[in-house]
Amino acid sequence: MASSQVVKVLIVDDDVLTRRIYRTMLFRFGFEITEAGDGKSAVNQFLTGNEYDLILMDNDMPSMDGVEATRTLRGMGIPAKIIAITADANSRGAFLDAGADEFLLKPVNFTVLTDILKAFNFLN
Amino acid sequence: MDYVNLRRQAASLRKGLFDQGYLDEQFYQLEDLQDDASPNFVEEVVTLFFRDSARLMANIDQALDKCVKDFNKLDVYMQQLKGSCTSIGASRMKTECTAFRECCRDENIEGSHSLSILNLCMRSFQKIKREHSVLRQKLESYFQLLRQAGPVECATRPNK
Repeated sequence: MASSQVVKVLIVDDDVLTRRIYRTMLFRFGFEITEAGDGKSAVNQFLTGNEYDLILMDNDMPSMDGVEATRTLRGMGIPAKIIAITADANSRGAFLDAGADEFLLKPVNFTVLTDILKAFNFLN
Repeated sequence: MDYVNLRRQAASLRKGLFDQGYLDEQFYQLEDLQDDASPNFVEEVVTLFFRDSARLMANIDQALDKCVKDFNKLDVYMQQLKGSCTSIGASRMKTECTAFRECCRDENIEGSHSLSILNLCMRSFQKIKREHSVLRQKLESYFQLLRQAGPVECATRPNK
């Protein structure tokens, strides 16, 4: 986990609406939220020294898709938990091979996501 | 002002949106996220949706107006629109978006700019516009009623 006790989350999705929904959901858990609109921006977050405990990663994004971003982050040695959340069911294998910890299909079921966060020990 | 009646009207309008298939389960999830910290969350999200979807639909209109149609681009726009529909539970719009994307795929397979497929795409898009317009009207009416009725306790799900 990042040095702070607050769970730091990076939401990576090119859709503003989706990011807004995830932000509201995670904010109620007291998480600290940062957003990125594509995979490249997500990678840049880490290149500029930021740390995150959890990443919610879409796949279909401009500049760099979620699978490539995941692969790049793992290649950089980033240990953050990565939950792929995408409408693209066919990307499951690619995401897991790239190093994602979990894969969810959109629309995300918040109960399922909460259970995953508990399993990752992000929630008491 | 008869707040009870207003709330009853809002509840009836909301039930109709689900019964007639305009909204699905995903809308319930948004409502569950609304709380004291985000008291207008659902309306904010819906407002974002209609702003975003109007922009996407304008892009699609422009792309369809062109003499040489780029069906790959159209599919990308429609994928984004469908994603937004999915996020708020706009079920009927989502179904029409799927139908449009199937037209785009048929066109890509045909590769000959078949007039019949093009017509199907255009008709499909007109349906999407109609669904968008109806959903917008209904949701605007719903939120207006809620505002007039004033703060309420948490909404309860209609019986399934």
